[in-house]
Amino acid sequence: MQTERRSAGLARRIATALVWGVVAADLLLILWIVLTSLRGSSEVLHQAFGLPAPPRFGNYLTALRDGGFGPAALNSVLVSVVSSLAAVAIAAPCAYALARRRTRVSSMLTMTFAMGLGVPGQVLVVPLFVGLAKVNLTDSHLGLILVYIGLAMPFTVFMLTGFYAGIPGVLEEAAVMDGAGPLRTFWQIVLPVARGGLITAFLLQFISGWNETLFALVLTHSQDQITLPVALAEFVASQQLNGMDYGTMFAGVCIILAPMIALFSWMGTRIIQGMTVGIGK
Amino acid sequence: MAATLLDKPRTAPVRTPRRRAGGGAGSPLARQQRRMFWPFAAPALLVYGVLFLAPVGYALWTSLYRWDGMGDMQWRGLGNYQVLLKDPSFRTSVGNTLELMFVGGTVTFVISFALTLVLREMKARLFARSVLFFPCLVNGMVFGIAAGFLFSPTGPVNQALHFLGVTTPPKWLSTDNLLPMVLGTLIWTATGYYTSIIMAAVDQIPAYLYEAAELDGANAWQRFRHVTLPCAWDVISVCAVLWTVSSVKIFELILLFGGSSSNYPPVSSWNTALYVYSEAFPQATVPRLGMATAAAIVSLLMVTVATLVLRRLMRRDPIEY
Repeated sequence: MQTERRSAGLARRIATALVWGVVAADLLLILWIVLTSLRGSSEVLHQAFGLPAPPRFGNYLTALRDGGFGPAALNSVLVSVVSSLAAVAIAAPCAYALARRRTRVSSMLTMTFAMGLGVPGQVLVVPLFVGLAKVNLTDSHLGLILVYIGLAMPFTVFMLTGFYAGIPGVLEEAAVMDGAGPLRTFWQIVLPVARGGLITAFLLQFISGWNETLFALVLTHSQDQITLPVALAEFVASQQLNGMDYGTMFAGVCIILAPMIALFSWMGTRIIQGMTVGIGK
Repeated sequence: MAATLLDKPRTAPVRTPRRRAGGGAGSPLARQQRRMFWPFAAPALLVYGVLFLAPVGYALWTSLYRWDGMGDMQWRGLGNYQVLLKDPSFRTSVGNTLELMFVGGTVTFVISFALTLVLREMKARLFARSVLFFPCLVNGMVFGIAAGFLFSPTGPVNQALHFLGVTTPPKWLSTDNLLPMVLGTLIWTATGYYTSIIMAAVDQIPAYLYEAAELDGANAWQRFRHVTLPCAWDVISVCAVLWTVSSVKIFELILLFGGSSSNYPPVSSWNTALYVYSEAFPQATVPRLGMATAAAIVSLLMVTVATLVLRRLMRRDPIEY
């Protein structure tokens, strides 16, 4: 009994050390990326790990101006913010209606949305490309935004339905008794109560819009329309011909990473909850 | 993206017949909810129908034709699927997709369980959990690029190995090793996410169950086997399906792994997503949209079948606590 407990204690200590090792590796990788983005290319090649001495903030200027990351970052912000706002605005009333009205039709519709969760993006990529080309919306922000709104529907509706289902209906009953119509009840009573869920839905959609690569790659190509992932892919491709400019490349990587790090350190628990509790129970 | 796997819809099913005394009474709230249903639901349904469901249908239809995107579509029936079966690159892609799904899934979940066990009793677990979670918010390309540099022939990893006396390090980024490297990166980035979901479920398990088990003399493994596993089973099965769906979607990690993007990566590291991409948007040849959509439909079938099988295998009676 004694020895068993002691060996269990030892095993636990080793396991804990291992976990901290992985945690440290994650943090060091991010730190290394940030440091490398401030160093010159030849320095990086000679010594992969090292402090930037002196720090070359010029890498960021080069990346933003010559590497095309500047306009791409603005496009990314525009596309992800607008598409997630629209997705939440469209999905919120629908999820509310589905959660509150419990009929066979509404549970069937809920299931239809949930089934969309199992469809991989590559199934939609050719049809959406062909369809948008027909209405002249390829290589345009509007087209990409529409696609992201469509892609967002299953998850956003599904998540918000679960969220509304957890809100008791007493408040609405009182509002209706006071003579409020459906729009007013929704706008003045339900939305304020549901604010937390809506913010989480927006955040998760923003994150996936920000990182989305396949559709951005297929649907946009001209320099003033591409988003950050496309700019990064193109930069890497062009560098293979001209020799690698590691400093600038990692500056580009940092530009993609920075908002995620900022969001996560600000609203980390909310993001984790949205992505875990929203899916689990 | 949770799921096809929740067989119970989140809105409770109708048990009681609607109270409709004399045509349209019910409480004022019920009446109002009936009136608002379609106006509220219609916009999302329309968007979902036009931008999601219709494209899936269109993909099914296109997969039956030979089409380069410009000219006429020629009817081929199931011909595209027959060609796919014989195409060695498609077979490789399917094999790789399955490898990512099963090998990656098994390893990820084993590590996630281990992490859950350790994290449960660790100091500063919230901080550790947050750090481990973060990689799933990062674009896969970032890891591809970082790995391309770290594991390059004269890169830091080999330098470190050289320092330790390893003179002939493995050729990390050679064509044969790409897929295992992708798999490793994938596992590393995904475990934090699944650990978080499983931990959220484990946190809901009441402490008295563990205390009772401990009083009965159960050791750590037995507590895991007889308390944690059964109580978190629902969530674990949801996770398994989630993994299945997301493993088939992997794209940018493979596209840019090792920083190789001026051309498509070597076929030996493709999954079905890359196959679809390369058939539909080739660099030099004519697009084969019929083949591309057929391959996409095959990957949809793979997800569906894997999900159904998983649901079957993992079905247990729910445990109330």
